[in-house]
Amino acid sequence: MLAEGLNGVLGHSALIVGFAASLFGAMALASATLLKNPRLVRTVQAYGTLALISAVLAIVVMERGLITRDWSLAYVQKVGSNNTPALYNVTALWSALEGSILLWLLLLAIYSYVIMRRYRNRLGDPLVAWALVVMFLVSAFFFFLALGPTDAFLAAAPPDFLKCCKGPNPLLQNHVLVLFHPPILYLGFVGFTVPFAFAIAALITGRVGEGWLVETRRWALFAWGFLTLGILLGGWWSYEVLGWGGVWGWDPVENASFLPWLTGTAYIHSVMVQERRGMLRVWNLSLLVATFSLTILGTFLTRSGVINSVHAFSDGEIGPCLLGAFGVILVVSLALIAWRGDQLRSPGAIDSAVSREGAFLANNAVFALFAFVVLLGTVFPLIVEAKDDRKISVGSPFFDTMSRPIGLVLLFLMAVAPALPWRKASGELLRDRLFWPAWCGAGTLALAVVLGGNGFAPLLAFGLAGFAAGAALRQLVLATRRQGLRGLVGRTNGGMIVHLGVILVAVALAASNSYTRAGEFTVAKGETISFAGHTFTLIDLTDFTTSRSVGIRAQVSIDGGQAYAPAISKYTAFGQDIATPSVKSGIANDIYLTLEAGSQPSSGTAKLKIFIKPMVLWMWIGGGLIAFGTLLAAFPGRNRRKPTDPVSAPIAFDLNDPAQEVAGV
Amino acid sequence: MKQVKRWPGWVLLVMVVAGLLAFGTTRDAGARTPEERVEEISKQLACPVCNGETVYESRNTQSASIRTEIKAQVTTTDATDDEIIAYIVQNFDAKTLLVPRATGFESLVWVLPSVAIVCAAVGLFFVFRRWRLAADLVPSDDDRALVDAELRADS
Repeated sequence: MLAEGLNGVLGHSALIVGFAASLFGAMALASATLLKNPRLVRTVQAYGTLALISAVLAIVVMERGLITRDWSLAYVQKVGSNNTPALYNVTALWSALEGSILLWLLLLAIYSYVIMRRYRNRLGDPLVAWALVVMFLVSAFFFFLALGPTDAFLAAAPPDFLKCCKGPNPLLQNHVLVLFHPPILYLGFVGFTVPFAFAIAALITGRVGEGWLVETRRWALFAWGFLTLGILLGGWWSYEVLGWGGVWGWDPVENASFLPWLTGTAYIHSVMVQERRGMLRVWNLSLLVATFSLTILGTFLTRSGVINSVHAFSDGEIGPCLLGAFGVILVVSLALIAWRGDQLRSPGAIDSAVSREGAFLANNAVFALFAFVVLLGTVFPLIVEAKDDRKISVGSPFFDTMSRPIGLVLLFLMAVAPALPWRKASGELLRDRLFWPAWCGAGTLALAVVLGGNGFAPLLAFGLAGFAAGAALRQLVLATRRQGLRGLVGRTNGGMIVHLGVILVAVALAASNSYTRAGEFTVAKGETISFAGHTFTLIDLTDFTTSRSVGIRAQVSIDGGQAYAPAISKYTAFGQDIATPSVKSGIANDIYLTLEAGSQPSSGTAKLKIFIKPMVLWMWIGGGLIAFGTLLAAFPGRNRRKPTDPVSAPIAFDLNDPAQEVAGV
Repeated sequence: MKQVKRWPGWVLLVMVVAGLLAFGTTRDAGARTPEERVEEISKQLACPVCNGETVYESRNTQSASIRTEIKAQVTTTDATDDEIIAYIVQNFDAKTLLVPRATGFESLVWVLPSVAIVCAAVGLFFVFRRWRLAADLVPSDDDRALVDAELRADS
């Protein structure tokens, strides 16, 4: 038995207190609600506060351990080193499984605390109470993981510095984005616990109307926004660090973050049908259950080792725990939905497929199909290995082939849906509303052809993107014409800005995936080469040494201007070559330089790989628009009707009154 | 303006789009550079020693040597992309292609999404049909009498 140091004792104590506080909080609130005992309700705030303090303390203690290099902790030996820079010492917290679970725990405790404070005067309301019970139980589960299968405060024998203490993976100590990408992604992952908890509470209490949706609308939106931003930041990190010039490789970890995004995106659309028409109740509940359970399944797939080999399943303790949790979530949720089946029947009907709600339903079917394809491709190697005991890989060629038509259909729906009224659209109305957006698409297509675009799929993508952008801009113009800039605020028009951001990301992906030009050159010092209309002069090629690595850095002048410095490093503790690309970003193209193995400063020759990647900058601009639009969508618009108002009789359309359309008629 | 948005405007739009797509799709994109061929081929192969990465993405030495061999094949032989892939799979420890085969059990990964599409389309058709039939119901005289009675009670 190894003796624990101060950090180990403090960390374990914090986790034990947090586990107990979460469990007692759940029990107290459940008992208070069942027994209608207001005195018990009052104790809940203390439990919630204690759980948050415990999670914060656990994080502080672990950061202290990492910063002071407390080698008595096994986790510090695993991800710490004597020469890791301060920034990456802090981010080392989430550079391995145990620390990631601590980060998850902290965010969950913060969300639970904020919900508890937000509804502090309504804790006697069974809907709020059961939602908090669910959040406390999820917190208790993660405290349990942090105490048992993923114990970050495990004591370790004195380190053998020849074998351990190498620091985080070199890829995780190479770019500042590692500070932002994981926490923001986790804010999205964990954020979906809130709407999930309210959904379960609605099922338990039988209040399956639209009230719980209204309570959680902004929470779902924020979780979705953070998840989207986290995924995009991951793409940016991949682009800046991995050196292959891409942003998305369809690897299982990426897919694990993409799956809840797909179902979450379907949810934030279909929830509007329920708010407006009282329909799709079971579907919305199922989407929330799917989104939350997919975050757990994704964590299981990528953290248990099962994705590498089915036989690794029994090696780790975290695998069975996460799989068990996934099973419990599914069984309990489905049982509750079945129990409340009678109350979940929709009172209304969709009058026509050609209507706003019809488009949302089609959008949901496509997103669900997309999620199915990604999940199937991710787990298919496991199925084949389990059946035939042989390994196969399902990689980007499969996902690219399948996702291309799905993406095109989604772009088409993005173009048509904003112009559709609720209930039913006439042919005349559609001809009128879609005319200019469609010509906007034709104009975009013409521009792409004039600029040299070729290939059916990318050109169709540009045309549909222009169509969708035209539809979104038309909606925004109508809104601002009537209300000024205030018209941009609110779910409908904030959503249109999000659509514009998504369209920019889609166009940038289509352009960079289809029209990237790449060349590899051996260049002597002082020599100038030409490629794709640019000149590249190798000014210098030098060795460098840091406390962590040795490497080679080139100085390359592009078009006779500023010098860019791609490098290749070997982290001495790992012996792994890490490319550090250098990128000249531009409105039309990025020029992406990497230095390849085989470059020799002694002879003054560099092996340079050059990528000319169109429109990549627009991907990051699109990400910014998505974040901005999400923020606008979270605020109430001016003419917003109460979502729970009863649906009135069909409203007559007046094509000459844009106000009706702005209000979502 | 109303006249422009009627059918002639739309017919013109369809013709313009079809013409642009036909021109853009059939235009010659120019010869691929050797590096672009290497890129396309290496994206089809799984890195032998890493998880989930292609030979194209991976920076490790095995993948680098496979890329070097692909480049040699591209620049010094007349082999097609498929022949080069077969050569690499045979001569290197490139354990698998990243594209599942379309035969046997592996074909399920291609078939199941297609089945899902058909099921979703058929499901949506029947759901919309049911809703449309429900919406088309004409209220009976009894229904109208009930509503009139409620309205009288309210007033």
